[in-house]
Amino acid sequence: MAGDPLGDYLPTFIRYIVAGVAVFALTVGVFYLFRKVFHWRREAAIGLALITPWFTGFLIFSAFPILASFVLSFTDYNLQQAPNFIGTKNYEQLFTKDINFWPSLRLTLLYAVISVPLSVFFSLMLAILLNQKLRLIGVYRVIYYLPSIVPAVAVVLLWRWIFNPDVGLLNTVLSPIFTLIGQTPPDWFGDESWVLPAFIIMSLWTALGNNMVILLGSRKGLSVDLYEAADLDGASGFTKFVKITIPLMTPALFFLVVVEFSSAMQLSTPAFFARATPAAGRFMNVLIYNYGFEQARMGYATALAVILFLILLGATIIIFRSQSSLVYYEGQQG
Amino acid sequence: MISQKKWRLFLPLLFILSLVFAACGDTATTAPTTTAAGAATTSAVGAVTTNVAGTTTSAVGAVTTVAAANNGPKTELTMSIWAGVDEAKEFQAIIDNINTKATTYHITVQSSPQEYWTKVQTALASGTASDLMWVDQDHISGLADKGSLLDITDMVKGDKAHPAANLDDYFQGPLDAASYKSKMYGLPWLDQPLVLYVNTDMFKAAGVSNPTADWTWDDFLKAAQKLTVDASGKTADQPGFDPKTTKQWGFSDNGTDWPPTQMYIWQAGGVTISPDLKTSPIDSPEAVKAEQWYADLSLKYHISPTPTQVKDQGFDSMFTAGKVAMFVGGAADSLETRDNMKGAAQAFLVPKGPAGNRQTIASVDFTSINAKTQHKDAAYAALADITDGIQHWKVPAPRKSLSTKDAIQKAQPKRPAGSIDTILAALPDGKAPPTYPGYAQWGDVWSNQFIDPLFRGKDTAANIAKKARPLLEDTLPK
Repeated sequence: MAGDPLGDYLPTFIRYIVAGVAVFALTVGVFYLFRKVFHWRREAAIGLALITPWFTGFLIFSAFPILASFVLSFTDYNLQQAPNFIGTKNYEQLFTKDINFWPSLRLTLLYAVISVPLSVFFSLMLAILLNQKLRLIGVYRVIYYLPSIVPAVAVVLLWRWIFNPDVGLLNTVLSPIFTLIGQTPPDWFGDESWVLPAFIIMSLWTALGNNMVILLGSRKGLSVDLYEAADLDGASGFTKFVKITIPLMTPALFFLVVVEFSSAMQLSTPAFFARATPAAGRFMNVLIYNYGFEQARMGYATALAVILFLILLGATIIIFRSQSSLVYYEGQQG
Repeated sequence: MISQKKWRLFLPLLFILSLVFAACGDTATTAPTTTAAGAATTSAVGAVTTNVAGTTTSAVGAVTTVAAANNGPKTELTMSIWAGVDEAKEFQAIIDNINTKATTYHITVQSSPQEYWTKVQTALASGTASDLMWVDQDHISGLADKGSLLDITDMVKGDKAHPAANLDDYFQGPLDAASYKSKMYGLPWLDQPLVLYVNTDMFKAAGVSNPTADWTWDDFLKAAQKLTVDASGKTADQPGFDPKTTKQWGFSDNGTDWPPTQMYIWQAGGVTISPDLKTSPIDSPEAVKAEQWYADLSLKYHISPTPTQVKDQGFDSMFTAGKVAMFVGGAADSLETRDNMKGAAQAFLVPKGPAGNRQTIASVDFTSINAKTQHKDAAYAALADITDGIQHWKVPAPRKSLSTKDAIQKAQPKRPAGSIDTILAALPDGKAPPTYPGYAQWGDVWSNQFIDPLFRGKDTAANIAKKARPLLEDTLPK
């Protein structure tokens, strides 16, 4: 609608150029500073200079917002006026008065705790299956990977149709079973008791492809010698799987658990577009959005975001602590 | 002590850092940007604006010009609207017309049909919001309370040139909605009551008479039952009707508060929020009667598709596709003139409730000025011109002089005369819901703790209302 789109964009374009040049100059400057002024070793100065663009971005776009969120969570910030410090009032209200907080925490945690192990387990099974020497195995691998490259919104729309209580694919398939037990097929997104299973099923479909590729790569990297030795000892296929495959794949499995848990706790796009009944609770990210933007209670929303951050941090620490007893790093043995 | 050589290294670093900060900074200038020709921004709008267009045209009304100064630069203004693609095109035509005639400013429009309020609030927070913006009745008081909107009370009072600034020509309801703590924060451009869109071909085929001015809830329900047909051809009032195989519905609600439950509560004599904003008596006998009757339309009488069907097949599209015979929509929606409308349709008055009234929620929309605009006077001049332009486009306008049969017919030539009569008759029944800063919190509880369980039939209206009332009252201003 603007009269001169190119002219309007010019200042922005110049800013991009200036920003790029400035970051490059900063990188060079850091190198000279540490090499010439502080007399660091050349390799060290180069290393520091090379991480400077990333580190600058991290400071501006990650560290500062995280710090600002902590500060804002103790204020009544409403997006338009200067925030006022209100102490721990936001946290007190969240824990004692907010009718949405506990259902939201429950739904989000349950989703993460159930969907992550299921997703990792089925991905492992799929990776083992797709590691077999079969005809057209490449085609199967592509087919199973395809859901991962479908945009999240398209996935939700597809699953809205699959979960449709009247004409959906799932209920059409399941209706004979439900008729047999004298029940009506579920209204997946419309009935609070089916919302969580619906989201878990949907998440499995999308996560399997990506996870399968990672685990397949890990499985293919395992040495054949160990399996040959096990064969000589008369080990069964199951024994080889439990005693060799699983232990050697634990680093990849560990990686998936960490990444998937974090992603599950921050579920947002499918939750926004599925339009499930709020009676089951709202996922924490959705609640943060509702409070922050729809109700303009950004201070309160950031308190919720801080809680989510702390839960994630705590869970990640626990998962990392379990590394020493659950994860086998071949390179560290010895 | 740093040596001279080290200082020589520090200086380029300092320069580089200054470049980084310059690059990260906001380039939005405080000085007005300019376009080709026109006059410099004036300081007192009322004194320098003249109405060159005189009587308004069908598309755009009066446009501010400065007769004595046509050679200076124009002030660049930006405007945020929520219009969808088609609506934005129509609006752009109005803006183009205004831009052509205006000599003091030039407006660039940015439309955000998705997540409009998120974008507006984020832009206001970051200081990058447009000079002018569309605001609805749910948000105007909240934004005014936070100081985000410009108080235009004195500007409007001092403006004798613009027809849209003549407050005597407005209905009182929309003017009240534009005010917060006795100050005016926007000019209303739409004041639309709700009407009942009826597919008259479907009525005729079912042998049902068109709605009359005396229609009650019972008459409405009886007609809707006769118009709801299952796969075997049985109607909803016949024994053996199977709601699971319905192929045509008499009415459509979406299960998420459209049509608004509030209007049925008003029609039954109840309220959702007391006038003093202290209570939320949704469990009063009058309110419960309305809530249960409304929920029963789909849960008990099965005259409306399920919320999932509505979500999957589209809400108003089910009406225009001829699958639903009656639909409550805004008077400006003009469903009966849409190209994809299957069959003849017309707007009728909504049925009367048990309290004998047919009050509906009036949707009032405004154009407001960003309090932080650098171009207050130019923005006001543009606001007055744009408002007049929209008031000649959107129906019904909140002005008495434009709420006539001729004016509406001129703005929307395709609309049947019967629909225009209905709109004019419905105007007095349009009522703005009570809103206040923080209303969104009440709305969140209302939707999630009351409407959702009510329309999913989780309990009776009386029980759900009893549980929801204290939660709603917790969010009211203390």
